Amino acid sequence: MKKPKQVTDLFIATPGTSIARHIRLINVLILAGLLALLFGFGFSRLSYEFRWEAIWRYRNSMFNGFLMTISISLAALVTSVLLGIFFALARRSRIILLNYFSHVYIEIIRGTPLLVQILIFYYVIANAAGLNNRYVAGVVIMSIFASAYIAEIIRAGIESVGTTQRETARSIGLTKRQTYRHIIFPQVITGVLPPLAGQFASLIKDSSLLSIIAIKEFTMAAREVNANTFSTLESYIPLAIGYLMLTVPISYLMKRLERRFYYET
Amino acid sequence: MKLNLDQMTKRYGDHVVLDAIDLHLSDIRSLVLIGPSGGGKTTMLRILAGLEQPEEGRVRVNDHDLRCSEAELLAYRRRIGMVYQAYNLFPHLNALENIMLPLVQVQGIEKHQAKEEALALLERFNLAEHAFKKPVALSGGQQQRIAICRAVAIKPEVLFFDEPTSALDPEYTSEVLDLIEELREEDMELILVTHEMGFAHKASDYVLFISDGGIVVQGTPAEVFEKTTNPRVQRFFNKVLKYN
Repeated sequence: MKKPKQVTDLFIATPGTSIARHIRLINVLILAGLLALLFGFGFSRLSYEFRWEAIWRYRNSMFNGFLMTISISLAALVTSVLLGIFFALARRSRIILLNYFSHVYIEIIRGTPLLVQILIFYYVIANAAGLNNRYVAGVVIMSIFASAYIAEIIRAGIESVGTTQRETARSIGLTKRQTYRHIIFPQVITGVLPPLAGQFASLIKDSSLLSIIAIKEFTMAAREVNANTFSTLESYIPLAIGYLMLTVPISYLMKRLERRFYYET
Repeated sequence: MKLNLDQMTKRYGDHVVLDAIDLHLSDIRSLVLIGPSGGGKTTMLRILAGLEQPEEGRVRVNDHDLRCSEAELLAYRRRIGMVYQAYNLFPHLNALENIMLPLVQVQGIEKHQAKEEALALLERFNLAEHAFKKPVALSGGQQQRIAICRAVAIKPEVLFFDEPTSALDPEYTSEVLDLIEELREEDMELILVTHEMGFAHKASDYVLFISDGGIVVQGTPAEVFEKTTNPRVQRFFNKVLKYN
């Protein structure tokens, strides 16, 4: 039975049915128009004069910063996953000291602002340890920060493998190590991939704070351009777009992984 | 199989689950444990399967003393098969991989040979078409039959079943019971906890009625199901058989 055409059909989705392409297009265009109006109004009130040519000269330094952000985030992702696995296992360890250490570590890192962590690590710990390479310091700080979140993601993943499966593994005669290797980890990996992708997106954005210790990443590059040209918006709008170019594909990937995982279980 | 239990006691904290059990059986091929829920039959099965240890007394299954170190218990578990209520297939592995995993990882059989054996087993029990399906794509009855294949594949000394049909839709119960019956006819030695009284009667050669932490009545199926005068057991039968 087909309902009579109504104007509201263009704007209100029927539960359980996918939205038709032309309706989607109409709504996207309206939304884009509204946003354009909003920003147009904002900028017109600002009476700001864009001078894109001023920052064009700094395109190389912006691009290098962009690459630096990717490089730091990727390196930090790898080390923070390793650290995260360690702390997740330590959190479940029967060795009390290890267990407590992991607990305290996760609480402190997740409970304090990244900004404070960066300052303390850089000016106290790295300084005392004689670590002068800013790139390495940046990777270490971001790894420490992200690993606390990743540890919790992995711990939740391990705990989602139910007791019945552990029990079955035991009755088959698998050792604890074999149970982790063949039963728990393969399931944890598929389960934690979506939240891990989300964590990676956060890592990319959060690394912008590294600019306060003068690491030449993307945000630092934009700040320098701004300082040299006084073209604030021309420096920061490309910055926002650059971050979106990294995070939007990741969030798209995350949704696809989630869907795949959903169908598999 | 031979079972020898002397004054075996199992507690969880202060709660005594099994109280000073004595049991001496030999030449039993199919032992069935029945009784009310919470009476201790599942705990008894788990002790006999080497999954838990009693606090006191002695337990022997065939030549295995089950009051031993965890390492020895692990070695024992590798020689027996265990089938749970349901959902005990590993969800990330397909049917074939589920059966192969203990063969390859625990029994140390070569991968290609394990695959052959697993496929032969699936073939034999009419499950070959499901070999490459994940558990989620299989019905409860199919899952349980594959779980039984996994337990049988290692050629276990004794095969244990903990209420193998309790979590299944009624329509799948008979296909699982048929498979267990087939194994029994092939002289596989079984220990089974079940609420299926008809099956218990038909498929056992010795029955234990366990309730309140002890063996209330024991004997051949005829003795337990037909001749017992024990009021506790009769009350139980009256209840579970009311609508049969």
